[in-house]
Amino acid sequence: MTRKRALSKHALALLAALLEARQRWSHGYELASLTTIQSGTLYPLLIRLEAQGYLEAEWQQPVAGGRPPRHAYRLTAAGQRLAQAQTLDQAVPAAGWRGREAASP
Amino acid sequence: MSGLARRLASRLLAAASRLFPRSLRPWARAMERELDEIKGDGAALLFAAGCLRALLGLAIAQALGSVRAPAQSPLPSPEPSSRSFSTMSHIATHPRTLALLCGAGAVAMGLAYLAAAGAPSRYLIVNLAALVLGASLWLALGRAAGGRLRQSGLMVAGLASALVLTAFFGLAVDGAARWVSVGPLNVQVSLVVLPVMLMLYARQPNAIGTAGMAAAAFALAIQPDRAMAGVLAAGLLALLLAKPGRLKLAAAGASIAAFGWTLLTPDALPAVPWVDRILYTAFDVHPVAGLAVVTGAAALALPGLTAARCAPDSRPALLAFGGFWLAVVIAAALGNYPTPLVGYGGSAILGYLLSGALLPAGALAAAARNGSSAQSVADQGADQTGSELRVPHPA
Repeated sequence: MTRKRALSKHALALLAALLEARQRWSHGYELASLTTIQSGTLYPLLIRLEAQGYLEAEWQQPVAGGRPPRHAYRLTAAGQRLAQAQTLDQAVPAAGWRGREAASP
Repeated sequence: MSGLARRLASRLLAAASRLFPRSLRPWARAMERELDEIKGDGAALLFAAGCLRALLGLAIAQALGSVRAPAQSPLPSPEPSSRSFSTMSHIATHPRTLALLCGAGAVAMGLAYLAAAGAPSRYLIVNLAALVLGASLWLALGRAAGGRLRQSGLMVAGLASALVLTAFFGLAVDGAARWVSVGPLNVQVSLVVLPVMLMLYARQPNAIGTAGMAAAAFALAIQPDRAMAGVLAAGLLALLLAKPGRLKLAAAGASIAAFGWTLLTPDALPAVPWVDRILYTAFDVHPVAGLAVVTGAAALALPGLTAARCAPDSRPALLAFGGFWLAVVIAAALGNYPTPLVGYGGSAILGYLLSGALLPAGALAAAARNGSSAQSVADQGADQTGSELRVPHPA
């Protein structure tokens, strides 16, 4: 039996940021900056999302040569449905991410 | 400081990517790669510290139980799947792994304290090097630990001779001969070999091993080392209580006699900064530093707590391990004795990881025995196929 709980404000902020990115891949530090979630909270959330099938994760070669690959993330279709269901009805409490997201390309 | 801080952050995450459970390693690598993208050194250090905290928390969460993990998940499951909750499941089914995690966590917390307290960078490097060496030996010993060590009694006797030789020919400070010089470092032999001896003896408490334990007790009495004599007595008593036996009673009796002797002999070594008394002095640096030291030290006995959930055959070794390291921490709290793993000193780090490698490697009995939930069984199956936290590796 699945036990449903209200999502934390950090989980909501992360889902909202990932939803806004849509098919674009995001990186860990970028997500931490956008959502103002600390890395110690962000990665456990990412790990859970990935393990539960809401998040895709893959290693990507950076455009600039000579740099190591980075781990990138985006929502799966199930993740997008979850994010839409959760974020449409609820205000996103984590400050800052929306404004900065709007400023990014 | 700034360059050093960034390098240290990177090294810690790189070490974590090798030391943490296989399921978490890709994530540790992912975190490490992000460091290159962070401009400020301070921000990079904070990011790395958060990542280490997350990794440690996840590893311990995995270790402490597959049963609780599903209920703690903050996200609904998209579909019925055994994969859903495997993320936070087990590892605690493997006390050896838990010992490695607790040891690495304690060292990491100790490094944070040492850096905050302004300890010489050499101290941090020594502890980190001891962790890497200890983890490597943990891996190497793991293969041997899986099987029965037929010559464990002889090994105990051999290690006891090292303690006796140290007592007679070791480096003496203020009348206490406890150390040997290895290059520029002074190694406290008892902190390395005693926990290993105890684990070997727990596996096979035969006559030769008992003689070895008695010789170790004798060596500690003449070194003299009140703390380690008491610690040996605590470990052997835990072993005796877990599974009584005549030989174990003799070994415990010898260790208690040795401890009694050390109580009658002067033991007045002064406290060494960043080594002794840090369970108290760390709070003078910062409350968080104090908390890190206390938490790291307390975590050392954690593998012993899994005894309640383990197969009966595994309990004596686990209880002896927990009793031994708890006693080391208590000794550090009571007198001028090294605070293990969180303070400066590689001997305890090596001793902890080596003894942890000799813990029972098998799964905890409880989950399999009472079938606590179908989910937990499914989780274990998922883990065995390596599906948990699966992330493609970089090319």
